[in-house]
Amino acid sequence: MTARIVLALISGLVFAQAQALPSRPEALSFQPLVFQAPKARDFKAQLRNGIPAYLAPDPTGAPVIRLTVSWKGGGFLDPAGKEGLATLFGGQLAQGGTATRTPAQVEEALEQTAASITSGCGDTSGTLSLVCLEKDFESTFELFLELLQRPGFAADRLELAKRSQRQAMERRNDAVTSIAPAEMNRLLFGEHHHLGREATAAGLASITREDLQAFHNRLLHPANLMVTASGKFDRKALLARLNGSLGRLKAAAGAQVTPKVPTPEHARKPGLYVVDKAAPQAMVSWAFPGLRRSDPEWHAAFVMNQILGGGGFSSRLTRTIRSNEGLTYGVRTALGEGPHFRGDLAGSSQTSNKSVAYLLRLALGEMQKLKEAPVPEADLKLIKDAIIESFPARWSGKAAVVNTFAGEAQTGWPEDWWQDYRQKIQAVTAADVQKAARRLLDSSQVVILAVGRAAEIEAGDPDHPGALKDVLPLPLVRLPLRDPLTLQPLK
Amino acid sequence: MIRPPALTLLAAVVAAAPLAAQLPPVKEHTLSNGMRVLLVERHDDPTIACGWMARVGSVNERPGITGLAHLFEHMMFKGTKTIGTRNANRDAELNEAQDRVQAQIREEMDRLRDRQRRGEIANFQDPAVRTPRLQQLLDQFDALVKEQRALVVKDEIWTIYAGAGGTGMNASTSQDVTQYIVTIPANKLELWAWLESDRLANPVFREFYSERNVVLEERKQTLESRPGGLVSEAFNAMTWMAHPYHWQIIGWPSDISQVTREQANEFFATYYAPNNITAILVGDFKADQVLPVIERYFGRIPANPKGVPPVITQEPVQPAEQRMIAFVETSPSVEVAFKTVAGLHRDAPALQVLASALSGSGGGMMRGGGGRASGRLGKSLVLEQKAALNASAFSRGQKYAGTFVLRATPAPGKRPEDVEPLLYAEVARIAKEGITEAELERAKNAYQMAQFARMDNNVAIRSVLTAAESAGTWRDLEEAPKRMMAVTREDVQRVARQYFAQENRSVLITLRKGKGGPRTRPNAPAVTPEVK
Repeated sequence: MTARIVLALISGLVFAQAQALPSRPEALSFQPLVFQAPKARDFKAQLRNGIPAYLAPDPTGAPVIRLTVSWKGGGFLDPAGKEGLATLFGGQLAQGGTATRTPAQVEEALEQTAASITSGCGDTSGTLSLVCLEKDFESTFELFLELLQRPGFAADRLELAKRSQRQAMERRNDAVTSIAPAEMNRLLFGEHHHLGREATAAGLASITREDLQAFHNRLLHPANLMVTASGKFDRKALLARLNGSLGRLKAAAGAQVTPKVPTPEHARKPGLYVVDKAAPQAMVSWAFPGLRRSDPEWHAAFVMNQILGGGGFSSRLTRTIRSNEGLTYGVRTALGEGPHFRGDLAGSSQTSNKSVAYLLRLALGEMQKLKEAPVPEADLKLIKDAIIESFPARWSGKAAVVNTFAGEAQTGWPEDWWQDYRQKIQAVTAADVQKAARRLLDSSQVVILAVGRAAEIEAGDPDHPGALKDVLPLPLVRLPLRDPLTLQPLK
Repeated sequence: MIRPPALTLLAAVVAAAPLAAQLPPVKEHTLSNGMRVLLVERHDDPTIACGWMARVGSVNERPGITGLAHLFEHMMFKGTKTIGTRNANRDAELNEAQDRVQAQIREEMDRLRDRQRRGEIANFQDPAVRTPRLQQLLDQFDALVKEQRALVVKDEIWTIYAGAGGTGMNASTSQDVTQYIVTIPANKLELWAWLESDRLANPVFREFYSERNVVLEERKQTLESRPGGLVSEAFNAMTWMAHPYHWQIIGWPSDISQVTREQANEFFATYYAPNNITAILVGDFKADQVLPVIERYFGRIPANPKGVPPVITQEPVQPAEQRMIAFVETSPSVEVAFKTVAGLHRDAPALQVLASALSGSGGGMMRGGGGRASGRLGKSLVLEQKAALNASAFSRGQKYAGTFVLRATPAPGKRPEDVEPLLYAEVARIAKEGITEAELERAKNAYQMAQFARMDNNVAIRSVLTAAESAGTWRDLEEAPKRMMAVTREDVQRVARQYFAQENRSVLITLRKGKGGPRTRPNAPAVTPEVK
């Protein structure tokens, strides 16, 4: 610090200390902060074969480049009996070497420059990503293209991955936190939809290198791909490099445009489901049918969910169940955006086995309040302010900006969604929130699942009388644990 | 030293240019009460990552108040004389009344604890053994809590921040440091100064006793419900026999459930004085404009002239190998902890390079977690010998001491005890032959890359500065890369010889708890190579 600044500071201090501090934070006043939502078109480009690219050069940042190719397609394409194929493919794309280099040679080359290339594949999409120093981009990108276009899927690495997956499978029943999500998905989507299906040991064993190659062939179609990049690069130069490589990619024999993600056909059965598992704490989760982000009532529903359980300590569920009752370390709800079909309004918490019924009664009580009366203006203003004022933080960093735009484009959401987002939130009224609560929090449609010591869960807490069966007039159903390898119900 | 000097020079030259760019300019200032302020201006987007850290953690506790540093972090969200209540006077009376009843409750509990000691009752905290007087006191206490709850403005600090557009509001406690963080819109800095200086100057630990239950649930969720959670707590306690790293940050359940507000007040007065605190701001502001604001708000808090007592207890030299065999509902594994040195110790960089050589330092992470195929452990144990599904090493230098940990998951058909000696063999090979020049360079490159990766946004820079201020000062960040670049192959060989003696290790063998009950004790492990 220079002497001049120090002097300025000291004189500032003398002045400052003469003033009394405001007695409450409400007495503070702030300079207005104007923030324009970034626009997708400022980042978007298109390669000559139509592959969209989202590029965010950052000339003043660290000399690092991050680049990702993502594809449409994932677990929902797994053939019946070969569930887990997409997951294995996602891992092995970066780890299995290339047509001309062994995995060890690829690793050696990357370690030399401390670059990394990683890959993964989820239910509906996947990514291959590189991170490297600016000076090493050319050599890393060469390797990246080779992995993307001519992956090796080396047999020994695939075998190792299958053995690791098989061991992960053996751990399925070890914790309530791994049992509950899988069981909930089966209840919500059925065993024939990709979200309700899981790999079995026999299915995993049957997956071959040829299966991975075929999966790769079908996905490698320009219409399935998208590129994002951020970091220290020149936009024009990178675009030229991309056009000279990925831009030349043509659909080969076997390549297919990935179809739409299928909508579940399963008829959901509302109820109170219990899985018995000896555990010190139970996990309780619930799901109401939700809506899609494109629904005209989305913004009202979003505000309603923030008030209910999506807004951290400002949420009513946290206040009642954690702060007042000390029943849990955390309780939250989330409103699914429904990228491919209607989402759910889902919630979960972990609590003592005996407290499950009491916790549910408190949670349902808070939901009832939202349905019965409009929320007070102060509560509504707080949540709306929180969403609107924190809007700039959503775009913190160039990588966050391009990732948002790329992800939304891949899903098919409109590009201008965020432009009037704050105005739409501001327009939500207490009546809108109540309407959304009445539409979504229909307790005759809820699926509730508790995993833990079943007898204790069903009996409830002697200090807060009420058994689980009295929480709601829905059928109480015990579900068996599944064999972790075959998924067959255990006796 | 056999190493050609030309190579050292080359490494230094290669390192120098990018390193200079890593740490953005930090402005340092100390207020008259001793509070340190670090400011980093970054004008990428209109937010400021704000935080302050107190040099206190579970290492500053003692038996009886374990978990207090962390419980405290929860209490700091309960408000102040102004924030969090509708009636400060009545609120204060109710707090005092609660303390009086709790003191009587403790007397009753002390009697019950005594009966438990004599075996007359099984568990003094079981509701069934309560005396009528205890029950009456508990009811009396509940009534006071209910009355206070009507006056409480719940989580008001959080609510004010949220309404002002704050994000990432949180706090965290480690063994060595506690931090309070939030990211705010760039125009709200004075709000941060108001709220944070208020909770340092005028805190009120209301809802103290019910928050103990939240923490007990947190303990259940994060430790007890996790397969192997209780075993890892026990293994850590075995590894550290005397040092306060012995207990978990969350504390022992007995202590969490019985800690008093008086103990919390004393803890606050000792460790939350401004001369034990550093504030760190990273983001869109002008330093010369915010420093007067910080001085104005935080400068009013009196210093603690007594300062902070040093952590006295040091870990004695371990006299013998320690071994724990656990049956858990999870996959079998082996974990070995060797006691090493603190993070700022001159041997720490060489231990980090050793971990890189063993575990790999770049490229693809092997699926199933832990270790890379390019490290010696991955190449040898996983790919060549096919004895493990994964194998990894890492060096963890904390503020006061450190450990070097080896881990492996055996391949199907192999036992943890089969894999354990293979881990030692790889360390022994380095002790005997050293690492290669290529391994050394890769570790250094990976280190540099990691420096860049953790410096690319406001929140990440705040975390790096917080960690540095916790163990020493942020200026150590300027030294650390130089020390890393100066590591030689001989340094790595020397630490591989020095810290891996059999009597310096603690071994955890985890076996799957079978359906028909635990397996019988496994055979003793094979003789392991001697490292001298």
